[in-house]
Amino acid sequence: MSLLDRTQPPGSGEFRQFDFPEVQTGALPNGLDLKICVLPRLPIVSVNLFLRAGEGSLAEGRAGTAVLTGDALEGGTLKRSGSSLAEALEGIGARLGVSTGWEGTNIAVSVLADRLPEAFSLLAEVVLEPDFPSIEVDRAREQQLADIRQRSMDPSALASDEVSRRFYAEGLPYARPQVGTEASISSVTRDQIRGYAEACYRPGSGGLIIVGDVDPDQIRSLSGEYFGSWIGSPSSVDDFHVNAQTRERRVWILDRPGSVQSELRVGHVGVARTTPNYLPLSIGNLLLGGTFTSRLNLNLRERNGFTYGVRSRFSFRSQPGPFQVSTAVGNEVTAPALREILSELESLVVDGARREEVDAARDYAAGVFGLHLETAGQIASRLNQIVVYGLPDDYYHLHRDNIRAVSTEQVTSAVKEHIRPEEVQVIIVGDAERIVGSVDALGLGPLEVV
Amino acid sequence: MNQLAIPLERHCLDNGLKIVLSQDNTVPIVAVNIWYGVGSRNELPGHTGFAHLFEHMMFQGSKHVPKNKHFELIERAGGTLNATTWFDRTNYFETVPSRDLELALWLESDRMGWMLPAMDQEKLDNQRDVVKNEKSQRYDNQPYGDWDQRLQALMYPKDHPYHHPVIGSVEDLDAATLEDVAEFFGTYYVPNNAVLTIAGDFDQSQVMDLVQRYFGEIEAGAPIPPLPGDSCLEPIIGSTVREHVLAEVPLARVIMGFRIPPYSSEDFAVAEVSRALLGMGRASRLYRALVRERRVAKGVVTYAFPLLTDASMLLAWATGYPDSTPEELEMALTEEIEALVEAKQSEVDRAIALTETDLVRALEQVGERANLLSMFDLYFDDPDRLNHELDRLRAVTVDQIRDFAASQLGSDNRAVLVYEPKRDS
Repeated sequence: MSLLDRTQPPGSGEFRQFDFPEVQTGALPNGLDLKICVLPRLPIVSVNLFLRAGEGSLAEGRAGTAVLTGDALEGGTLKRSGSSLAEALEGIGARLGVSTGWEGTNIAVSVLADRLPEAFSLLAEVVLEPDFPSIEVDRAREQQLADIRQRSMDPSALASDEVSRRFYAEGLPYARPQVGTEASISSVTRDQIRGYAEACYRPGSGGLIIVGDVDPDQIRSLSGEYFGSWIGSPSSVDDFHVNAQTRERRVWILDRPGSVQSELRVGHVGVARTTPNYLPLSIGNLLLGGTFTSRLNLNLRERNGFTYGVRSRFSFRSQPGPFQVSTAVGNEVTAPALREILSELESLVVDGARREEVDAARDYAAGVFGLHLETAGQIASRLNQIVVYGLPDDYYHLHRDNIRAVSTEQVTSAVKEHIRPEEVQVIIVGDAERIVGSVDALGLGPLEVV
Repeated sequence: MNQLAIPLERHCLDNGLKIVLSQDNTVPIVAVNIWYGVGSRNELPGHTGFAHLFEHMMFQGSKHVPKNKHFELIERAGGTLNATTWFDRTNYFETVPSRDLELALWLESDRMGWMLPAMDQEKLDNQRDVVKNEKSQRYDNQPYGDWDQRLQALMYPKDHPYHHPVIGSVEDLDAATLEDVAEFFGTYYVPNNAVLTIAGDFDQSQVMDLVQRYFGEIEAGAPIPPLPGDSCLEPIIGSTVREHVLAEVPLARVIMGFRIPPYSSEDFAVAEVSRALLGMGRASRLYRALVRERRVAKGVVTYAFPLLTDASMLLAWATGYPDSTPEELEMALTEEIEALVEAKQSEVDRAIALTETDLVRALEQVGERANLLSMFDLYFDDPDRLNHELDRLRAVTVDQIRDFAASQLGSDNRAVLVYEPKRDS
């Protein structure tokens, strides 16, 4: 017999106040935002340079150029070849990573604190003096083309690309894959890559973020020394406006014969990061499909066993990114799974959110925020969001209180406004012959096998 | 960098449960992490995939915790949680705001002590479906998704515990019964086969009272039975073994496996550093040669599996371009791996420098600290090994790497798994 009363979960202990760490903000004379955050816990530093060189500002024929330029950046500098550069960085234990998105390019370095000055110097060399040797550009291009081929056989990547194609009006940046297309990448030349870097790797409206075991005075001096004489602003801006391709509910089956599962995406164009509804909508999404105990996961996974997991998500970008429910289910339950997804969307927007779900989702969001303030990289990526989306400097200091202030009514009104079941595009990547009959019988809307 | 100094303290309850505590109050969060000494290597013939299916059942509730309540309570607290099953172990972990440490201990102790009263056929059938969907999604519906299954079968004989994949077979999953669940639980999910680590922000003066309160009354189990099957294995394969798969894959890929000393052996460090010379970072041998210079591969991956029984695996794979042939990929991989007999000191220094950065980065997270401490305690009865891990790697000499390349990375110890794209005619 148990000696302890185990029937009730133990209550929480005392709340320990914990704030987002202090950040020293400033800017270099060239317009580069400078944010420094001291975390002395371990001898590690995360450096993040954000430049406004993103895929969102490229014309369709040049899609993928920003990604390719970022990838080719490790190909060498005016002072050393790609191999020598890799040796110089890794010789001091520095990890360099370049990632390119719709809004810009992030160049990140992680390094032990005692090697920071050398890492700074190498970062500056990579960004300010890139060489883009032909042979390295060719390699990066071939790699990107091979990636595109790999995506063409990966059901999840195929579904993502189909989402872009069917949600957005033709010709919009968000209507295409971020990595570009075979046609756009094949034709990019070395000169175009160099030209792109020359024009867009500029400090204006970018940010340099340093988090870790650092001395802020040393950082300011290193920043001035290595990035002070760099000038200019990126020539490109993403000033497009997003339109949905259609407001009619439609079903698209991308035929992949022999599939043992159907990859499903259900959704429509969402909303931009700057929406005043950002927090209520984020909370609404958590309870719909953003946690394990969300409505969708409890239904499709835990009640019906249709799937290993299902999620919903708003991709908040500078312009409205997609809202989508995504999952993979067995062929035979494709139609029942779609019916359940639609019914969860409808009941949320018709009946609204329940108070206890909102309480739970809000508690989760407020608590989990603190879990992601541990590492230099986590803090740096938060600060990066401030730069990318122009959020106020005290945004994350107020974040937890702002989460706690969200009401059930605000959540309900946000989901009613931004989730529209009658407008969803239903994307299925799977074996058309085996699923088309039962899916069509659901009567969701015009169905096309592509 | 100086010596790592992650603080830790060890305890053991009367029922055999081992405890590791590692305090760090910087951020008000705490990680609770349990490793059970059971994985796919313990599975009997006809029961493959059971350890992993069982892991799913551990989230289906226990005597005092209704189905899904575990997730609900942790998420409500603002915590994260998960579990994973592997060859030699199964782990369960959550990170929560520190004021909810007691909640995590209540949940973990309830399923360690009182899981069976909550089991029923409906839950088993439901999770069997979930696991079959996991297998479909992650293995069957993915290009190259069956690689580990094929490579393990090439490298380990049929009756060896590492011959079969962790996910198991659909037939065996279908055959699993509630009696199997009960027997597996009674045999392996006992306090004397587990390590509990608590890392992060907790009150040093109270934490052991809490642990004792929640875990102390769970009864010890019988000693853990020996591994099934025949775990006698030669240190090398003895020849080059191969499988050629014509499949619906986008690009040719060649995967090579080599038997290496087990994680429990002193020599494993040599394999780890050798692996780093081959494939860690962009200055590594395989990236430089195959990706940057010869341009036969779009990418390379290397990994030294930390497996405990008899022999572990070192893996190197290269994925080609649309016009690459598997033959040229295999030749390039072979040449560059064999060339490691000429390893240089500067390469060793680089590998150690990167490893230092990676380890410190991992230790920034209390969840990762807890996970490593549990592992070192369960595997080696020595959680403090975490603080000496880098010394172990720094002690590896370039001569040892050269000898390792000569004795373990040659044609008499090579498994080659080739994926060739099916060309549509």
